[in-house]
Order: sequence, then structure tokens, then C-alpha cells
Amino acid sequence: MQEVVCQKDDLQPGEMMESTFGRHSIVVCRSSNGEYYAFMNRCIHQGAPLSKGKLCGAPEPTDNVGEYNFVKEGDILRCPWHGREFDITNKGCMLANEKLKLKDFKVMVEEDNVIVYK
Amino acid sequence: MSQKQATKLHLIDTDIHERAQYKDLLPYLEQPYKRYITDNHWLQEKHMPYTQPSVAGVDRADARVPDGRPAGSDLSFMQEQLLDPIGHDVGILTGALDPSPSSMHGWYEMATALASAYNDWQIDTWLDQDERLYGSVHIAAQDPQSAVKEIERVGSHPKMVQVLLPIDDQLWGEPFYHPIFEAAERHELMIGMHHNEPPVYYGKWPRYFIEWHTLIPTAHMNIVTNMVFNGVFEKFPRLKLMMIEGGFTHMPFLMRKMDQQYKDLRHEVPWLKRKPSDVIREHMCFTTQPLEEMTKKEFMQVMEQMGSDEIVSFSTDYPHWDYDSPFDALPPGLDEDLKRKLFSENAKAFYPKLKHLRKER
Ligand code: FES
Repeated sequence: MQEVVCQKDDLQPGEMMESTFGRHSIVVCRSSNGEYYAFMNRCIHQGAPLSKGKLCGAPEPTDNVGEYNFVKEGDILRCPWHGREFDITNKGCMLANEKLKLKDFKVMVEEDNVIVYK
Repeated sequence: MSQKQATKLHLIDTDIHERAQYKDLLPYLEQPYKRYITDNHWLQEKHMPYTQPSVAGVDRADARVPDGRPAGSDLSFMQEQLLDPIGHDVGILTGALDPSPSSMHGWYEMATALASAYNDWQIDTWLDQDERLYGSVHIAAQDPQSAVKEIERVGSHPKMVQVLLPIDDQLWGEPFYHPIFEAAERHELMIGMHHNEPPVYYGKWPRYFIEWHTLIPTAHMNIVTNMVFNGVFEKFPRLKLMMIEGGFTHMPFLMRKMDQQYKDLRHEVPWLKRKPSDVIREHMCFTTQPLEEMTKKEFMQVMEQMGSDEIVSFSTDYPHWDYDSPFDALPPGLDEDLKRKLFSENAKAFYPKLKHLRKER
């Protein structure tokens, strides 16, 4: 099964949008380096619509108390409800606990089409 | 309880309150500090509005020294009433919070002098006099530089096992105090925290002692949360914290709450790289007293929710009024293995300076 979920130009790096894949609501994201990613549009915590959240960056883990290194601008999807952070470029893993991850879909780009497939 | 039963305990008692009368400290104080006590009758500020919460104030009525001195102020009476009949292997002294140099709201020079005097008195009067007794380094933590000097001065004493910090209204986890933790870590000292006069009712005193005393664990929860989220244990990986006289049954809630908060708010504390509950299980231990009365089943449920039976350590709190008896405070029927951990193994594993006791049994 495969489906065109949006056009390449619908998203600039660091942007995301809601779309559908079969019966599923999905969120299509474009990372800072221009790659496309797609996830189930439902937070694994309590089901919030992720497309209403924010693609942003995050302070990376540091060894120094009091230090904030804000990195990955455009690659971190923060949930609109409780604000948990998921790295779209790392299979949607939660930053606070890498064992937890969003449901992700395979994505390819053909000409102007962004296609999700299984 | 017979002597025979008693000697089987091999108890490490993680909270015994020895008491200095101010006059005991005079030989260890220099001028001008000495003069403020002899001439000006200096007393440490105290804030509790309550009179006598129990039969003999905050002490066991039978613990007053027969010659009339206050409870906890005489070694031989403590030996006779506590250490010998119960069969302590080790007792860890935690002071009587008066003086409590780190609680003072000013005049840190006096606080520093008192801390040094107290340490010297403690070593001479207790640690050097009974091989079972181990001590806590008193400091004036409001002035980290002087506190570090004091840790350097007495911290290498083989029987000083921890640096004592009171739980009042200071947030010791903040970076300003980190030099203290660095010095403690250097000397294989752990941190012991014991409440003094925490303002647990929105910063005020409630009308009744029973209200204040019921909610002391909330003050412990404040400082546990503060220490973890301020990254103290990430920065000082060999440091551990003994939370004294707050009990432990509040911790399953707090660990779960902190873990959930961490998932939501990690971005604010990126120096914390693992679950708060993992930090707590690796770096903290909780003394048992004052135990709520529980059945074995209830007790084991709490233990299970702690996620470890190795972070709780028995304490009597002698000579205070809410003393817990090692024979009667725990629910009956606990497994021998668990009792061994609570009574001694966990404390031995916790304090580096007790490591010479680890292999005996
Ligand atoms: S629903 Fe997404 S963080 Fe709670």
C-alpha cells in the first residue's frame, strides 16, 4: 500500500502538516536538512494530535549543570499537550526515554510527491 | 527483650541524637565566640511555637540522664540504655540540631566556629570513646568556603561518615552549595540530611505541633526533588544522600511523580540524563523512623513500589520521643534477609567508611 500524502513544496524544512494514510491521520514532517518523515498523528502518551504541536529544537543532554545547548532546530516534535519531545530524525524516539517512540511510517519522495508506504 | 535475642540484630542505627550543652563546647571555642556564650548567653534562634509535644518535650521521658542532664548528653548512659542492651554494631550520630550551624540566618562566623567546636567535641566525647559510634561533620553551609575548610579539617577522620545538612528552608541542591558536595565526595563522606525546623505550612507554622509533625516528609520531598533536578548526583557521581528521620513511605509517590514530570519537562534540566527514580535509587537511602504502623503486607507493598529493598535503613532516633524500637517497630514476620538489609547491610553498602564491616558475615 502506498499513498501520496502531500507535495514536496507543501513543507519547508522545519514544518509539518496533517495528512492521511489509509484510515490513519498522520503528521508529515520535514526536518531541518530537508528530509521527510511521517508519524501517526496521535501522541503515544494520551493521544494528542501531534500536528497541532511544534517542530522545534531542544536543549541537548549536557554534563554541565545550568548549561543549555539548544540544538536540532526543526527536528524535535513537541506534543501540543504535555510537551513531550520526540526526535523525528531518530524514529520518533522520546528524548526523555529513548525506549518510547512514535509510530512511524516509511516515506519516499518521487518527483513532487511525498509518498508514505508499507 | 532478652540480651540474647538482642545481640542477633547486628544493628547499624542510622540516627542517634547526641546532645552538646553549650558549656561542653566552650573548651573548643576560641575568643571572641566563647565570650558570646559565657558573657552574653548566646542561644541559637529557634522558631517552633509549641511547648511540650510529649511527656518530656521532644525526648523520651526515660532518656534524661539520671544526674539531670538532658537526654543524649552522656555517653555512658547512652551505652547503658541503648547501645549495650540492643546490641548495636554501629550507631551514627546526627547531633541534636542545637546548635545547628547551617540553620543560622546570620552571623556565619559564629556558625563556623560552632561547627568546628562541635566536631572536635564530638570526636573527643563520642567517636574516640566508643568504637561503635560514628559521626557527622557539622558545617556552616551558608558559607560554602568555610564549610569546605571544615570538611577538609575533619573530613578524613575515619569515623566521620557524612556531612550533615539541616532541612529548613535552604535549597542545598543549588550550584552555590556544590563546593560542599565536591569536598564531601573527595573525603568519601556522604551527605546526611535531617530536618530542623522546616516551614512545611506554606512557609509558616501551623497552629498545632501535630500538623507540623505530620507533614515533615513534605520538607524531605522538597529537598530530594531539589537535589535531583539541580543535577547534584550527575555532577558528583560518587556522592550519596541519607535522608534522615523522614521515613520512606512517601517516596513511591514522589519517584513516580518525578519520572512523569521528567518526561514532560526534561528540556528544562538537560543535565539530568536518566529517570529521577533511577537517580534516587542509586544515590539515596532513607531511614525508617518514624515508621507508620503497617502490616507485613502493607510494608512489602511499599517496598515493592520503592523498586528496591536496598535504599531503606533502620534508625531508632534515640533519645527522641518518637523513638522506634528495633524489636517492635517493623511489622512482624518480615523475611530474615530483608531484616538483615534494613538493620545493617544497606547502611554498610551506603557509607564508604563502613566498608571494613562489609565482608564479616
Ligand atoms: S499527549 Fe502528548 S505528551 Fe501527553
